Amino acid sequence: MLKFIGKRLVQGVLLLMVFLALVYLLLEAQPGDITQQLISDPDIPPEAQRMLAAQLGLDQPLAGRVFTYVINFFQGDLGVSFTQYPTPVSQLILERLPRTVVLFLSATLLAYYLGFGLGKIMAWRRGKFTETALTLGGVAGYTVFYPWFAIMMLWFFGFILDWFPLGKFTDVAEWSGAPMSPNQVFMRFMISIFAVSALVLAVFVIARTMKTERLQRIVWRTGFGVLLVSFVAYWWFSPLRPWVGDLLHHTALPVITLACVAFASVMLLTRSAMLETLREDYILTARAKGLSDRAIRDKHAARNALLPVVTALVLALAFVISGGIITEGVFSWPGLGQMLLNATLLEDIPLATGTLGIIGILALVGHIIADVAYMYLDPRIRYS
Amino acid sequence: MTDTLAPPSPGVEATLHDPLWRVRLRLMRRSLKLNWKLFSANRIGLIGLTIIAIFAVMAIAHPILMATQWSAQIYHPVTGYDAPVVEKLVVDEVTDPLTQIDVATARIQLNPFIDVGETLSIRSQPAPPTFSGLTPHYLGTDPLGRDILSQLLYSTRAAFFLGVIAAVVTVFIATAVGSASAYFGGWIDTLLMRFADLILLVPLLPVLIVVSALFDISLPLLGLVIGILSGFGGTAIILKSQALQVKVKPFIDAARIAGGGHTHLIFRHIIPNVLPLSFLYMMFTVTEAISLEATLSFLGLLSIPMSWGIMINVASSQGYLLSGTDYWWLLMPAGLAVSMLAASFFLVGRALDEVVNPRLRHR
Amino acid sequence: MTSNGKPLLEVEGLVMHYQTKRGQVSAIEGVTFTLHHGESLGLVGESGCGKTSVAMSLMGLAADNARYLSGQIRLEGENLLALSEDEMRRRRWKSISMVFQGAMNSWNPVYRVGDQIREAMDLHIHPKLSEAAAKGRMARLFEMVGLNPAMLVRFPHEFSGGMRQRAVIAMALSCDPKLIIADEPTTALDVIVQDQILKELKKIQDQLGMALIYISHDIAVIAEVTDTIGVMYAGKLVEYGSTLEVFHRPRHPYAYLLLSSTPSITGPRRKLAPLEGEPPNLLDPPSGCRFHPRCPFVTDQCRTEDPPFIDIAPGHKVACWNWQQVPVTIGASA
Repeated sequence: MLKFIGKRLVQGVLLLMVFLALVYLLLEAQPGDITQQLISDPDIPPEAQRMLAAQLGLDQPLAGRVFTYVINFFQGDLGVSFTQYPTPVSQLILERLPRTVVLFLSATLLAYYLGFGLGKIMAWRRGKFTETALTLGGVAGYTVFYPWFAIMMLWFFGFILDWFPLGKFTDVAEWSGAPMSPNQVFMRFMISIFAVSALVLAVFVIARTMKTERLQRIVWRTGFGVLLVSFVAYWWFSPLRPWVGDLLHHTALPVITLACVAFASVMLLTRSAMLETLREDYILTARAKGLSDRAIRDKHAARNALLPVVTALVLALAFVISGGIITEGVFSWPGLGQMLLNATLLEDIPLATGTLGIIGILALVGHIIADVAYMYLDPRIRYS
Repeated sequence: MTDTLAPPSPGVEATLHDPLWRVRLRLMRRSLKLNWKLFSANRIGLIGLTIIAIFAVMAIAHPILMATQWSAQIYHPVTGYDAPVVEKLVVDEVTDPLTQIDVATARIQLNPFIDVGETLSIRSQPAPPTFSGLTPHYLGTDPLGRDILSQLLYSTRAAFFLGVIAAVVTVFIATAVGSASAYFGGWIDTLLMRFADLILLVPLLPVLIVVSALFDISLPLLGLVIGILSGFGGTAIILKSQALQVKVKPFIDAARIAGGGHTHLIFRHIIPNVLPLSFLYMMFTVTEAISLEATLSFLGLLSIPMSWGIMINVASSQGYLLSGTDYWWLLMPAGLAVSMLAASFFLVGRALDEVVNPRLRHR
Repeated sequence: MTSNGKPLLEVEGLVMHYQTKRGQVSAIEGVTFTLHHGESLGLVGESGCGKTSVAMSLMGLAADNARYLSGQIRLEGENLLALSEDEMRRRRWKSISMVFQGAMNSWNPVYRVGDQIREAMDLHIHPKLSEAAAKGRMARLFEMVGLNPAMLVRFPHEFSGGMRQRAVIAMALSCDPKLIIADEPTTALDVIVQDQILKELKKIQDQLGMALIYISHDIAVIAEVTDTIGVMYAGKLVEYGSTLEVFHRPRHPYAYLLLSSTPSITGPRRKLAPLEGEPPNLLDPPSGCRFHPRCPFVTDQCRTEDPPFIDIAPGHKVACWNWQQVPVTIGASA
């Protein structure tokens, strides 16, 4: 299995290099001379211009330039932003990257967890009305114009119901007495979430090694419960609580909006995968063995229905990324997507292309995770 | 004069004396009838087609209306201007911006001596729908004073135009790539498939966003770009597997033995068998293209005069984004139009799936 | 298995219909038979004659639209049809287990074979077996069916078709059932494996002393495995008796024609008597005896009155008005 992961990683890196090369070629294809554009910013002194030119390899032939660009990228040098000179692009991206990753991850997890759970239960419901309603809902969910949907969500939950703020990351007024910047608070919160998640995973693995099923359940439940309670308690009694709350308040609606559409398609997919699975012979055998309906549904059917759903994860990735960008735009949420949009509107080329490269990396990582997950879940592939 | 396309007698498709082209036409007509029967058995396909037909009527209606009923000064979607007169009640505090105006604004802007309780006739933009008078605006006007209905109908043309370009380019490229990949195999196959992997990797929207930063994108160019990028991607992979299935059939060997060269085999045998599937995926490309264009226009990244996305963009940039139900005509018609047209092609695609993909047919 | 003379299974006058959109399909029409501990019964008949419906009814796994109009299924005296789903669930696999048709697909591809067998045992064996005891038991089961116990930790896709079949039999035995129903367990396998499995099955049955109901459309296979045979046609049991007797001297015209249509390699050359016509449509079965449209011995009575299932010799029952007309020698035409 490690060999498989290794192979995929290598393939991925190669693809990434080709992608970056193409991005650079796109840059060059612009009307006007790219070399001049990159260095002719009047705010840059001539020596810096010459240095920049050498650094970017602008005196080299085309192949050399492409090569230099790709190598620079891998070394973390994405150029310098035009609009925020002299801040390097990588710094700007790094600041926003965790936020967008959090947005994407939480939306995906929410959509999949709810979608799979609900789809599993919905498979048990048949009947003309349910079928029609679900088909209509599914088509609507898949084809609704997402920006319009995001606007409607913002309007309804933010403006009409006033449950959530109208976009942005923070409520500036609330932060006037804060001990640290929103970014720092956010980073701390994120680190704690990752730490807890890692511990939860550890508990899960430990629980699986227990001898009896009862022990497994006990270890898992107590471990998870302890971690959850301590996590909530820590932040509840932390002096940073109001500011963390503000951050969460602003982030909730974008996450929910993004999750909504993905949720609809995951639920429908799970349901149809379950229906297919329920027709299999081993379900009949499970019934003949005297298993309860619930055990059949969860242990036998759902576990198999999981496979096509995970495959669909790959397609959902593309949607989450595109949808995430739109969501950040509509909600003015300061993540990578919004930065990409602003950079484009302001024609800050290095920032725009650099962000595109990073998005490519995110997509790649997501792909590989989905592939590995599928491989892990299907014993026919794992042990062949 | 008898129908030259009808078969000579029932059950007999052709005689030896019929020219080849006539026989081909008859066969095409028969298979069209059969496919239509399969397609129309499914309600969702018909619903999709109906919606497309409605939009097609809308697209045709616009130039007709502009030529006959509407004067360009008022109704032109981009340059027209009209600020209909609307009655507003002067009040202390405005609860309904459509029918009320607060006393301070009224005094500053119009009549310093006006008082609460009086009504004012002012020109307003954006104006709610008006159905009577010299210049009725059935869907109101936008913040720049332009007729919404006219914009809506005009943008339909843009949407169809874009969809068709994107779809045709995709089909062309995907069929070519899929067939070449399957037929020639070897390094051509590897190269094309690796390239398809790359396309699949990165979502289309961010790429298009960056492209729009580097280039000025017009509608045909956008269609071309979407078509190219979609054509080399997932669709090509699916078409390749279909072409592979055709390639291993005995009649290919027979044709080769009979002396058929590469061109003959590809164009006469493989492509015709792959085409129905391409046609199917064309539908999904149109869906994607319409949504993409609307999104990019909404984000303000395209240079096209008018489209549904631009209508929403204008509303948002003028500050009416959260107007919801107050100024519903600014956001709802455009948003619904995009969703419905995109959905209709998707439905047609789903129904076509059952016709083209024999395994899915309900017998 | 102890048997104190009382029968293990009594099916009495079982009548079952499927309720469909097009009407009622009469799937089982008055089936009656008795099975004793350790006895093996073969149910033979064409596709659609109701044998699988009977088997599913015994397990309580008939389709949702099955309606039991009358009759009882008594397992050790207890009427299974009167039980609730929960009660039935407790008896499944423990009292009666089943080997399904196409048993190769009976395995869930994502779990190990041993775990799937263990699942059944954990459900029905009380007190729950320890890890070691369970492993030992499963190892013995595997050896009994001729499989290497090391395969218990493998996944189903690592087994061949024949191996999967044997494993299914092992799983069916795992809770010490009193009765195993085998529904065409060897149909999908090649002849050599088929032969092996049949022998294994017979051996196991002799060893463990459980009852067996073997369902097949292949009369030759049934003859090898079973003591008693029941011939079904269009939802009715038309002949019942010891395998030897029914095989050599069938009394029902259908059974007679069925046996005549099987050529014999070793026996004398004889003319094959074909079975004309098709099985009836169970939505609208023929009046009187259901076989009468195809029967070469048909008389007027057959068209109007349904023959009762009567004893013509101890332990040999037939449902035919004209059973005495059926020739003694197989192959002689009417």
